[in-house]
Amino acid sequence: MLASQRSKKLKFLLPAVFFVLLLPSQAQAYIGPGAGFAVVGSFLVMFTAVLSGVLALFTWPIRYTIRAIRGRRAFARSRVKKFVVLGLDGMDYALTEKFLAEGKLPNLAKLRDEGSFKPLATTIPSVSPVAWSSFQTGSNPGKHNIFDFLTRDKQNYRPRLSSVDIRGPRRKIGLGKYQLPLGKADIHLLRKGKPFWKTLGEHGIFSNVIRVPITFPPEKFYGVQLSGMCVPDLRGTQGMFSFYTTRTSDNDERTGGENYRVTREDDTIKAKLIGSENPFRTDNSILKIPFVVTIKDQSSADIKINGASYKLKKDVYTEWIKVDFKAAPCIKVHGICKFLLLSTTPEFELYVTPVNIDPEKPAMPIAYPAVYSTYLAKRQGPFATLGLAEDSWALNEKVLIDEGFIQQCINMDQEREKMFFDSLDKVKRGLCVCVFDGTDRIQHTFWRYIDEQHPARQQREQDQQRNPIEELYLRMDVLVGKTLAKCKDKDTVLMIISDHGFNTFRYGVDLNRWLEENGYLKVKDGLRDEKYLATVDWSQTRAFAIGLTGIFLNVKGRESQGIVGPGAEAAQLREEIAAKLTKLIDPDRGQPAVKQVYNALKVYRGPYKGEAPDLIVGYNRGYRASWETAIGQVTDKIFHDNTKAWSGDHCIDHTLVPGVLFCNRHIKTEKPRLMDIGPTALDMFGVEVPKYMDGKPLTVADAGGSKIKQQAES
Amino acid sequence: MSFFAQIITWINVPMNGLGKFLLAPIGVLPGWLSNTIISAVVGLVLLIIFKYTSNQRAIGMVRDNIKANMLALKLFKDSISVTLGAQGRVFRGAGLLLLHAIRPMLVMIVPVSLLLAQLGLWYQSRPLLPGERTIVTMKLNSNVDSPWPRVSIKSIPGAQVMIGPVRAFNEREICWKIKADNAGRHHIVFQVDQQQIEKELAIGDGFMRVSAERPGWQWSDIMLHPLEKPFGPDSVVQSISINYPDRLSKTSGTDWWLVYFFVASLVFALIFKPFLRVRI
Repeated sequence: MLASQRSKKLKFLLPAVFFVLLLPSQAQAYIGPGAGFAVVGSFLVMFTAVLSGVLALFTWPIRYTIRAIRGRRAFARSRVKKFVVLGLDGMDYALTEKFLAEGKLPNLAKLRDEGSFKPLATTIPSVSPVAWSSFQTGSNPGKHNIFDFLTRDKQNYRPRLSSVDIRGPRRKIGLGKYQLPLGKADIHLLRKGKPFWKTLGEHGIFSNVIRVPITFPPEKFYGVQLSGMCVPDLRGTQGMFSFYTTRTSDNDERTGGENYRVTREDDTIKAKLIGSENPFRTDNSILKIPFVVTIKDQSSADIKINGASYKLKKDVYTEWIKVDFKAAPCIKVHGICKFLLLSTTPEFELYVTPVNIDPEKPAMPIAYPAVYSTYLAKRQGPFATLGLAEDSWALNEKVLIDEGFIQQCINMDQEREKMFFDSLDKVKRGLCVCVFDGTDRIQHTFWRYIDEQHPARQQREQDQQRNPIEELYLRMDVLVGKTLAKCKDKDTVLMIISDHGFNTFRYGVDLNRWLEENGYLKVKDGLRDEKYLATVDWSQTRAFAIGLTGIFLNVKGRESQGIVGPGAEAAQLREEIAAKLTKLIDPDRGQPAVKQVYNALKVYRGPYKGEAPDLIVGYNRGYRASWETAIGQVTDKIFHDNTKAWSGDHCIDHTLVPGVLFCNRHIKTEKPRLMDIGPTALDMFGVEVPKYMDGKPLTVADAGGSKIKQQAES
Repeated sequence: MSFFAQIITWINVPMNGLGKFLLAPIGVLPGWLSNTIISAVVGLVLLIIFKYTSNQRAIGMVRDNIKANMLALKLFKDSISVTLGAQGRVFRGAGLLLLHAIRPMLVMIVPVSLLLAQLGLWYQSRPLLPGERTIVTMKLNSNVDSPWPRVSIKSIPGAQVMIGPVRAFNEREICWKIKADNAGRHHIVFQVDQQQIEKELAIGDGFMRVSAERPGWQWSDIMLHPLEKPFGPDSVVQSISINYPDRLSKTSGTDWWLVYFFVASLVFALIFKPFLRVRI
């Protein structure tokens, strides 16, 4: 079929070329701007390629010599050519073991049999930003300063992102209604310490790092990197979806998204896509793009945006659509988003993903070097750049149905797979790291499918036979199979790791309510349920909770309205709260809600341990900080049923949710930890592990070690 | 080929009419300005034609692929295998771009050639100035066995014959040296045996449509010299040409007008490209 098509093309092309050559000489000299462009363009392309190629070839010996001088010792002592880390965020040890036992994961079973499979100890607390920061720095949180997704602002007690601080340019020149920012926005990575790939780079070893959490903004090193978790959307949030509907509702408020009520005139709906604040306007007005949806029939419509038209088909995502917000004359802010037509009748419903930063023309630095994201976009097309790209909020808010969310996760994993495999092809010698997030998001949102006692289980809408989590593990096994095929070289070490495991999240614990009931927190009279601890009377509050993992003391001199003495008083209070909280029993079920409470000063070492929550709460299976605690609300009861789709979690005691470690070589170390992976990579490349790292190199067998293992076992 | 010659002869009739009407401003505008305006319009029109006759999606993909590989050269410059592989793919992409340009090129080449022929009438040569001398050459058919016809200039309004006819037997050509007297568009009438044939003569200042040759039955000659009716395939006279002087200008002079037109239309097309969202 293909051959016949080619032959048809040739039949057309050859006479065409012949005809062109027959034309008069004057016409040959000119073949129209379009075709002329192609000729000139092709020539320029070839010229540039030849020039860069010649330059690359001629300067290669010089660069090779420099690299050899810088990196000879490292590579001379290196035991591997390539070290590959495939991160599957949240892959659970117990579930993996179960599916392995059932023979459902043949590729992972092969890795287990020929190399290793072990539980991988996670961090305290077992949350992704903390765990992946420990992975990349090889150190405990006290040295890298990341203790949770959120931390509190010591001045106003409001929550803020723990990993990055983004501020606009300080100086601006006013030009009427416009202003010209002088300099770039100040985007500051709050994670401290040095990633192990930077150390590798200092020894001349190249790294390709893709989507590792807490790498935004990207840091300079010898290699290429695409940032992951915590990259904001174009609006600067961690993901804000848009939902356009003709449906009238009493409550338009949504978490992680916004409702826009639209009206339908005949078959036409006019609305506006919302972007960021306009940094070029003195009034900081919001950037908007008008769009028009024309409904064709019950299951299709057309959308016109930015002068281009696209087809919408019910329950099918569009491709990534480029949206350019006009900020000022000749200045555009570039984003990408997908549209999903949910319904045309009786009510119109349209879901739009958060507007991601366009990787081809990024509005913020999301890669190092900056052109790496452009390279990827040119190579494979637009891709999700948002840190938390899978829109679990839209599922939680019941805007997306289960199927729609799963499809979104699969699409994003496919994008990730392309860039990961490209890195495996490009890096012949060095480090490749890629983290897939879909594993985490799907387990978060579909645990209700495998937990029969889950409060959200009754609300299942999809067919009862489906098991999205099992399907996920099977998909990941296929990914592992493909990765194995690309890592056949005996000098390549492949590790498949997860930052933590998973468990059910049935009940939320309102820590602030517990603190209130136990006299540590005071709510202002007549006020309750306000967000961001707005109802707390700080003059009578000794401890408070915000975020998912911990309790902060209201310490004098540290918090702006602190009342607890920083020395012995604080120490005594920590002990007292920890002791009481460990005894917290869920009265409805008669089971302990907390397994252990950790004193940050005792479990962390390093210069930043003072920034940690004073107490880290290790919840028991089935419990987690309530949704309200996370955003600083104080409700009127301690225990809440979790009826959201977000039904699985890992923000519990770290011992209950170990991650996984697979390796294509035998690992002797009995209890590997996530923070040991970086030091192991350094060790395998013959680079001395820096003293500041808390992780220790794992004992990994050399090539052929797996045979030794089999012999030993037999 | 006779078929093509006939087709082009027919096409030239309306093209001459259109050219006379649409390109008339050339006669009153400065050369650089008229060529610039025409280049801009043509650049825009051909860009639109390119957009709708080419596979924009495929061109976009090839362009993206080329860009990706160019960036790979920069990002992975220390890997010799990546460098060589990326270069190979860039060359392949450049070749593919040329292939994708063939279809629009085929669509555009005929109208563009016809347009260039019309423009050539204005820019390629300048008319004779009164008092200026030049050579008129009549080319006979290439059959060496056929007898030489009796040829003379019957009338030459606006000019006078200085020398001739002079026969070049090997070339089968007959030449006259003439001197221009009065400005205007005249017709030289030749007596060739029993037959009378004509050739247009342009005398004057500034821009005029100048037909340097009345062509024979060759489709390429007919295309390049569209103004006058070609001689038939059986005619003993194959062409009559007048050696008009070159026009001296880097923007609208002999040969340079074409270079300027090419560059200017390319530049204008580049300027319009982002507005029309054309990938080239």
